[in-house]
Amino acid sequence: MFWNKRIQKIRHEKKNGNELFQKNEDLSLESLKAMISNMDDGESIEHSISRNRKITIVYIKTLIDLERLNESIIQPVKNCSEEMIHTCLSSEKIVAVTTLDNAQKLMMQGHVLIYDDKGHLWAVPLENPLARSVEESQSETILYGPKDSFTEQIDQNITLLRRRLPLTELKTEKFSAGYLTKTKVVMLYVEGIANPDIVDIARKKISKINFDMIIEQSNLAAFMEDHIHSVFPQFQQTDRPDQCAYSLGLGKIVILVANTPFALIAPITFFHLFQSPEDYIHRWIVASFLRSLRYVSYMVSILLIPLYVALTTHHYHIIPLQILFVLLESRSKLPFSPFWEGLLMLFVLEIIKEASLRMPNKTSTTLGTIAGIVIGQAAVEAGFVSKILIVLVGVAAVASFLVPNYLLSKTNTLIQFAYLILASFLGIPGIVLGLIHMLAHLNGLTSLKQPYFSPIAPLYWRDWMDFFFRAPIPWMKKRPKQADALFKWRYNRGDG
Amino acid sequence: MGDYKLFDKTAEFGNGFIIAFVHQSQLLYFVLFLPKMLQQSYLLFGILAVGILSQINLFILSKSMSYMDSKQGYNGFAKLFGHRNLRIIAFAGIAVILIKLCFIVLGYAEIVHQFIFPSMQPSWLFLFIMLICTYIASQGMEKTLRFGIIAFFCTFWMILLYIPYFVPPGADVLDLYPLIPAGRDEHPWKGMLMIWSSLSGPEYIILALPWINPKQKALTYLSIANGISVFLYIVLFMACLFFFGTPYLGKISYPVLNMIRYLQTPVFERIEIVMISMQMFQYVFLASFLLLSLYGAIRISACSVHKETGRKGLYGVSFFVLVCLFLIDQFFGRQGKELNGWTNLQLWSGTLTYLLIPSLLLVANIRRRRRSSH
Repeated sequence: MFWNKRIQKIRHEKKNGNELFQKNEDLSLESLKAMISNMDDGESIEHSISRNRKITIVYIKTLIDLERLNESIIQPVKNCSEEMIHTCLSSEKIVAVTTLDNAQKLMMQGHVLIYDDKGHLWAVPLENPLARSVEESQSETILYGPKDSFTEQIDQNITLLRRRLPLTELKTEKFSAGYLTKTKVVMLYVEGIANPDIVDIARKKISKINFDMIIEQSNLAAFMEDHIHSVFPQFQQTDRPDQCAYSLGLGKIVILVANTPFALIAPITFFHLFQSPEDYIHRWIVASFLRSLRYVSYMVSILLIPLYVALTTHHYHIIPLQILFVLLESRSKLPFSPFWEGLLMLFVLEIIKEASLRMPNKTSTTLGTIAGIVIGQAAVEAGFVSKILIVLVGVAAVASFLVPNYLLSKTNTLIQFAYLILASFLGIPGIVLGLIHMLAHLNGLTSLKQPYFSPIAPLYWRDWMDFFFRAPIPWMKKRPKQADALFKWRYNRGDG
Repeated sequence: MGDYKLFDKTAEFGNGFIIAFVHQSQLLYFVLFLPKMLQQSYLLFGILAVGILSQINLFILSKSMSYMDSKQGYNGFAKLFGHRNLRIIAFAGIAVILIKLCFIVLGYAEIVHQFIFPSMQPSWLFLFIMLICTYIASQGMEKTLRFGIIAFFCTFWMILLYIPYFVPPGADVLDLYPLIPAGRDEHPWKGMLMIWSSLSGPEYIILALPWINPKQKALTYLSIANGISVFLYIVLFMACLFFFGTPYLGKISYPVLNMIRYLQTPVFERIEIVMISMQMFQYVFLASFLLLSLYGAIRISACSVHKETGRKGLYGVSFFVLVCLFLIDQFFGRQGKELNGWTNLQLWSGTLTYLLIPSLLLVANIRRRRRSSH
């Protein structure tokens, strides 16, 4: 009974949420003025024009280009002798507005509203672009390759993609998400290559979002992910237009969100999170080596400390005698068991990592020095941790930085802690139990309903060309099976 | 709960899955002490002969598979046997699957107990293994079967660890003699029976039939997997013969694992601990698959196959298996022997299922075809 009432209440709130800011009043000058009441940046100006007529211009001055207001609207309208004022305006994007709700929406998007004495209302776009210039990517830097990256301006981002894929088949579908933020969301795909079923799934997921705010791309991803409780990201997030264009060409979907320089790419696999745009710049042998190094580093970063705990707690006999002497000598005066020692060090490491992220750049260098030398050395000298563990923690920390995807590298910590507990209880079989769980979990995940752990499970041999190793690009003649593209061949098989 | 479907089908598996499944089902617990039971080097030919027999059996199995309407799943089987008969077969299947499932978990726990944690109560291992199996099984049959490919990739490389045993001076061809028996063996059938039972397991692929792409040539991939398994059996037996020699082979328990103990690297010793741990992938995959099959068999027997599958049912079956494991361990386990009463039961059960299921399916299919043609 309690639950039923609770569910009914939630449904009621959800239903009303959509209508929270809906205006049911009639369109009039009073209602327009009421709309900007108590808004310091909201302005309404009355102007007399020819034939003794009056118009009222309503706008939000912080959203529009004030310099263009006079030359594009006020001056042309002043001398207008036409019956319909909008015919005097040079702008081609003038919209006739019939409802107050629409008027509000357009005004908040940077339109200027013109209300005449006959009750007609027009909206003229005069948005202040407020854009920063296209700059180099800060999160995914590459040495050789395109230097541009997305900005907060969604139209500019679409331009960057259109320049790379000058196709009429590159479709852009617009959505609005979040009833408070009314965030503009644009889904891009190449018609004829992208699978319509996957496009439809994405379309439905975006349309279904019923929430107050979608501030940035991660908010959107949270609503679109198939498995919200998983620690693994099911969308790739990038600010590189070259990567988005490449994914679009392979039959994937790119989603741009207004006011954020990051795009979402889907469907992806777990292994895409280990790929870097640089992989396609290097020679294929070098690229393959670097990519496999990333996989090894990922495993090292999550397994090294748990293995240390497993070996020192349960399986001393695995370690050769010479190394065992060094280990015993290093651990002989420690007050903690390997588990507590490992846990303590990992915990401290995470604090340092998090602190260095939150600090200004200059301070974080100092922090790194203090953390690395002072805390590390002092901890050994004080007899809290062994020298060997300090080395291993350092190696694991550096290895974790090799994972190109920041969101994935952040999951390492949680996995490490879980494996640490399993290792302390069950040694190596415990770690394998953890691995089984992780792989079974990854096997169960999907990204826009496409298997997340392909090309291993399910086994897509075709996709192994660009997996642990990166084959020479001319060999990659087919699009990845995982994206389920409509047109699988990458080379043009026609006469042209 | 409405969205929770354990036996849902959204994809079809190809040749890679067939190879992975058959190979893993053939290389289970028995392979670890089979060389001890065979002992005599001339039984290398025995493995080969039983391998060929197994191939004939797989031919029958693939024929039956090609006759069946696999896409219909339960209804396909019901058409073949009739609803009533199918319920009886499913009821008998409960016992067979339960024996195999318990045998897998008990066998693995026994190995871990002997080689890694001699002082640990095996009950804890049962619990952990069943927990992870339940987790995998709860994702549904499709994902469980898919996990089989992951398990295959995580375990198949282990055979490489045995390469050093084929390199002189450790390996001497004289250790393989006599290749022709000098006298009469007292129980020649026992070794052969054991090989046959070890090679059993592919018959369970019929439970995964609805998820297998019917267009592919099943026989080819069944044969490849069987060929790989027979090759590995021969390799492992030869390695044991080289390392221990015939006289000592009969005295050592789990020779396949024990010989790995002697491998040393500059960084690791006692590699068998890592190897046994990694083998958990294979055991857990098959146990999860059997757990789901057991749940399915119970549902068919109880005439509730058309009702929605639920987590509670699966958890109930898992708990039931866990209780069985505790009881079996209490009454049959911890005897320190590889072949106790319980494993003998699996030996016969595996032999019979591998012998009867393909033939039974073939006969049923032929009868049905004849009936429909009349």
